[in-house]
Amino acid sequence: MLGDSRKAQEVFHATLREAAQRAARGELPSEPFWLFRDARWRCLEATKSDLQPESLEIDEHDVAAEAPSQIGRLDPMQLAIWISAAPDPQRSALALFYLDEFDYREVLDLAELKLSELSRFLGNGRRQLQAWLDAKFPQRSEV
Amino acid sequence: MKLLSSMRSQRALLNCAPISARQSADRSMRSAISRGDGSAEFTNQQNFDRAVARLVRLIPIPAESAEWFSEKDLVPTSRLTWKKMVRNPAVVAISIAVAVIAGVFVFNFLGHLNDFPGSATARKLLGVAASTRPVMLDPVNAEAGTLSDLFFMKHGLEHYDVPEEFADFVTIGCRVFEDDESRRIAQIWVSEKRMQFFLFPAERDSKTGAALRFPGWRYVHQEGWTGAVTEHNGVCFMAAMRGHDKDLEPYLKPADK
Repeated sequence: MLGDSRKAQEVFHATLREAAQRAARGELPSEPFWLFRDARWRCLEATKSDLQPESLEIDEHDVAAEAPSQIGRLDPMQLAIWISAAPDPQRSALALFYLDEFDYREVLDLAELKLSELSRFLGNGRRQLQAWLDAKFPQRSEV
Repeated sequence: MKLLSSMRSQRALLNCAPISARQSADRSMRSAISRGDGSAEFTNQQNFDRAVARLVRLIPIPAESAEWFSEKDLVPTSRLTWKKMVRNPAVVAISIAVAVIAGVFVFNFLGHLNDFPGSATARKLLGVAASTRPVMLDPVNAEAGTLSDLFFMKHGLEHYDVPEEFADFVTIGCRVFEDDESRRIAQIWVSEKRMQFFLFPAERDSKTGAALRFPGWRYVHQEGWTGAVTEHNGVCFMAAMRGHDKDLEPYLKPADK
């Protein structure tokens, strides 16, 4: 979500500290996923003052059969940075879907999205990542 | 139009298909997957997602963050104390309900503690006594003890005898009536403290038909009225008056109390 491990750690610790304090006071919310919702808002708050990624026309390629091998050559941090560079709420959708592996109903609830929006964000995200992979590892045979 | 909308919806769902087969999927998602399954596009998407997921699992978790999960109690659980438990609304509600049930049970138990065969009828007759007016009875000016013959001769009621403790009391009136169970009841009004006497059949054993006996005098109470009941020869006699046990006590034989 943040693309910066130091900031991510700060948000992580702040979220858990707050949760522990609320638990000690017996004030834990009953709604599911409140911790993730809280963490998401803290992440968005932490990047509020940073330069925001813009919704640009990014190259998009259809997902290719050889994508898994291309992805396998990526460094995990590169993927994290790529996701964090997406504009929100696409960034939240990608992070929740790929990093936390929530199912689509949970992502809709957490990121307050409609199904059509989530579908578009994920579909575009895949094609954009594929385009980036193609640019980075140009082994794909053009048809 | 509807078909197009349905296809669009299926496509939207397929784009959000779970990465792992272990993840739960609702009916609409399962349906979308079963339709898209086998298509090259969907297969590529699934392989793509799984490859990304594998890569995500390789993202190193900083040691400081991992520490949070090494502790047994990440979030200190608040201990369930007696104080907290007692304040719990559910516990309070259950406690009140149990107290009410126990109260009703104790009330009923105490109410029936002094029950005896015929006590229910005696209580009903106390209600009759409270609502009876002198004009409702046939005027009779005699000693109460002499009415046994009248009940036998006129109404065919055997053993409807007034006990000797009350036999000398002067009557104002009397009547014989049937209660709601068709039992024949004799009612006598005497001048002494506006007292009323009732004679009614004793309760009987449902199997043998024998009268259920009880010794001495027993008290019943109803709406400010008190009755002293005794049984003799299968017939119960009740002396009833407005007041308490102590108002009737002087009329009863001390040895039988």
